[in-house]
Amino acid sequence: MIKKWLIEMGSPPLFYKWSTKTLPWLFISAILILGIGLSWGLLFAPTDYKQGDVYRILYIHVPSAILGQSIFMFMAFCGFINVIWRAKISGMMLKSAAPIGVSFTLLALVTGSIWGKPTWGTWWVWDARLTSTLILFFIYAALIGLHSTIEDKTKADRAVSILSIVGLAIIPVIKKSVDWWQTLHQPSTFTITSSPSMSPDMYQPLLLCLVGFYLFFALLLTLNLRNEILERERTRNWVKQLLGVSS
Amino acid sequence: MHSSIFDSLSIILKRDLMIAFRRSSTYITPLIFFLIVVTFFPLALGPQESLLSSLAPGVIWIAALLASLLAVETIFSEDFRDGTLDDFFISLEPSFILVFAKVTIHWLITGLPILAASSIAAIILYLPLDSFIPMLLSLLLGTSFMSLLGALGAALALGKSAILSAIIVLPFSVPTLLMGTSVITSSLNNQDFSGFLMIMGAMLALGIPGLCLLTVEALLLNYE
Repeated sequence: MIKKWLIEMGSPPLFYKWSTKTLPWLFISAILILGIGLSWGLLFAPTDYKQGDVYRILYIHVPSAILGQSIFMFMAFCGFINVIWRAKISGMMLKSAAPIGVSFTLLALVTGSIWGKPTWGTWWVWDARLTSTLILFFIYAALIGLHSTIEDKTKADRAVSILSIVGLAIIPVIKKSVDWWQTLHQPSTFTITSSPSMSPDMYQPLLLCLVGFYLFFALLLTLNLRNEILERERTRNWVKQLLGVSS
Repeated sequence: MHSSIFDSLSIILKRDLMIAFRRSSTYITPLIFFLIVVTFFPLALGPQESLLSSLAPGVIWIAALLASLLAVETIFSEDFRDGTLDDFFISLEPSFILVFAKVTIHWLITGLPILAASSIAAIILYLPLDSFIPMLLSLLLGTSFMSLLGALGAALALGKSAILSAIIVLPFSVPTLLMGTSVITSSLNNQDFSGFLMIMGAMLALGIPGLCLLTVEALLLNYE
């Protein structure tokens, strides 16, 4: 049953039809949960006694940082499937997820920088987390750059898949080595997210924001993927019928 | 069967080494490039001995990374253009051997000269003599890993601009850079550096099968 569903989802036209049905639900739930979470966090959550209202940027910063990493893992997973089973749709998914992932990573870097200025007094610190997020951003850039230089889209997908697998293997090494590098060169000056002390009325909206961000990603991915499917299959009959173009 | 794999390996190695030695620019260019980059740091930062010797690990490693990426594009491009690569894939030899031989050649014409030149770089940057052995060990492991990564980058960017393969590879070389400089810096501070060397060795040990197989996969993309 699940296997049959997965095989059906591997076919671009069937996925397209299925996503047409599910898209409104995804849209509604993403907007609803993200809206509730963000307005709860930004407007109604209690003010932090030390940082004041500045801390509220956390409701955007933390989910986007988590998403930046999860999307990379998702991409590597798609890449794995694409290299081994040559499933066309996994390559398209990989390609559609990349710009979303890089945006979230950039958002995490920018919001972190904005948050850092009033609390640490500087826009940037060579902290282990910040550094590895910056490198993650460069890896995303490399993946997107590689995809855009290869004309044949299916080949581009496979090339990026191969690189994303290497990325998945090397990201833990980067994190560990940045940690060691940090302890070797300077004592850890800032630990922002030692957060088990976070009170539940600040934590609950964060959790909701996180779920909202994931749904938002799913929504963007589906929209991107549908465009990608239409573009690549534009010469096929089902697309022509769908768009009402006579062949 | 065993002997035939090693036979084909040695045939490729001999052929490519001969080509490389007939054209001295292949192994001299990375060497000169490395020394020029190293020379630029004292020129830009000033000749104070204390400053330079504390910066030396980073300077040597950045120069080594850039120099080893310089010739990356040539790993497969010539054989791809003149059809030697096609011949190899048509033959029944395992393509892993080809990639491994190519990586070895790339290391021999870039990594090895850099290793030799690094002692000169260490002298002009006032690196203490005690740190020479750790530096050479870290460069030995690190440049080999860079050759593996570079081969993958070259295979993915085959027929594209030379700078693309460097941009693809550079973000992935961060652990090598950090570990390599950590080895030398630790030895400067009289700390134990064997842990960093072991990690670099582990990366190399996983990289030889893993990256070579992915490079084969990437090369085959051009033959579909």
